[in-house]
Amino acid sequence: MTAAPLAQLTMPLSLFRTWPNASALLALTVLIALAALPILAAHLLDTRIVSDEAVWLKPLKFHAALAIYLLTLAYFARWLPDTWVTSRGWSIYLGVVMTCIVLELIWIDGAAALGVRSHFNITSPLWNAIYGAMGIAAVTLTSAALVMGIGIWRNAATGLPAALQLSIALGLILTFVLTVPVAGTMANALSHHVGTPITGATLPIMGWSREVGDLRAPHFLATHALHAVPLAGLAALALPASWQTPAVWAAAAGFAALTLWAFLRAMSGLPPL
Amino acid sequence: MSVPTPESLFQLSSPLALLGWLALALNPFAPRLVQGVAMAIPLVLSLLYSGLILVHWAQAEGGFGSLADVQRLFTQAPVALAGWVHYLAFDLFVGAWIARTAQAEGINHLFILPCLALTFLFGPAGLIAFAILRLTLSGKVLP
Repeated sequence: MTAAPLAQLTMPLSLFRTWPNASALLALTVLIALAALPILAAHLLDTRIVSDEAVWLKPLKFHAALAIYLLTLAYFARWLPDTWVTSRGWSIYLGVVMTCIVLELIWIDGAAALGVRSHFNITSPLWNAIYGAMGIAAVTLTSAALVMGIGIWRNAATGLPAALQLSIALGLILTFVLTVPVAGTMANALSHHVGTPITGATLPIMGWSREVGDLRAPHFLATHALHAVPLAGLAALALPASWQTPAVWAAAAGFAALTLWAFLRAMSGLPPL
Repeated sequence: MSVPTPESLFQLSSPLALLGWLALALNPFAPRLVQGVAMAIPLVLSLLYSGLILVHWAQAEGGFGSLADVQRLFTQAPVALAGWVHYLAFDLFVGAWIARTAQAEGINHLFILPCLALTFLFGPAGLIAFAILRLTLSGKVLP
């Protein structure tokens, strides 16, 4: 290959390379997204069903979800305090978080290759031990949102409007605070369903049940706080200055309430929609 | 869900590899285009191989431990197909390397054609033929 076509190929990537403090997070985003290609090939060649679903759907969803998560963290990383991102502690912490993400995907992809469940698999002492360790890894990788939220909260030099900065920090913190109890409840219940589906009717793409409670719906809301609240913060900038910060607090509280409502609805056995 | 049969995938992958070999035979006329094609096709075949292995390896009978185990692997159509795609992908990759190396070291393409034909048909036989040719003409074996 010559330099010219290669440069054209990497041009969309170099757009992201201008994002400050994001190189490691972006590299893993690209890696995870591209690693979905062989999984997509497997999906097109496989007839196996695990938990009433084509076996490779779950790995594909997790590659997509974790790539979106990493890309979002990479975008927000520009507003971390300079003293943080240059510190050795931050590099080590980021390394641990990224290792947890990779281990989580290896587990989910590997279980699919073997044709067994990943989450909720306690069929042997080994699978049970791996499931427990992956729970710790999941909390660790989600903690990156909390840590970054605190960092952006405390950074006096982001140059952002106060309300927008608050919304980004709150969104990141809420992602951790809401996701951990919802996902933890699901993990301990050893099922995302509350109730026993009979017809197996599901929502398209998401795969959530249309008959019984499905804890993946509140998990989805909880984890997307880091998108929803900052978007509300962006919208709040259209309000008069003195209303902006209260509006962001109200939006964050409202989104948390929505997630809690979806959680209680799922726990009572009612379908998301 | 309907998935392609091993037979239909075989009938797709062999012509794809052949296209790469035809391109390599014409390497001097458009080396950049040929190198692109001859590298892209092994990557596509590698995706197919990886998919086949992800799907079938866990249930496959046999293994790498003994010749009998390896023979048993190849009695299963999807695994045998994966093995065949492995040959196609890696042989073409080596072919592309031969053409690239020959060009960089100024070895005449006419000398290369028999090496490419051997690599296409008998993989390692072509590689050893090129290694001998290269040692003779360029005085090199290692990169």
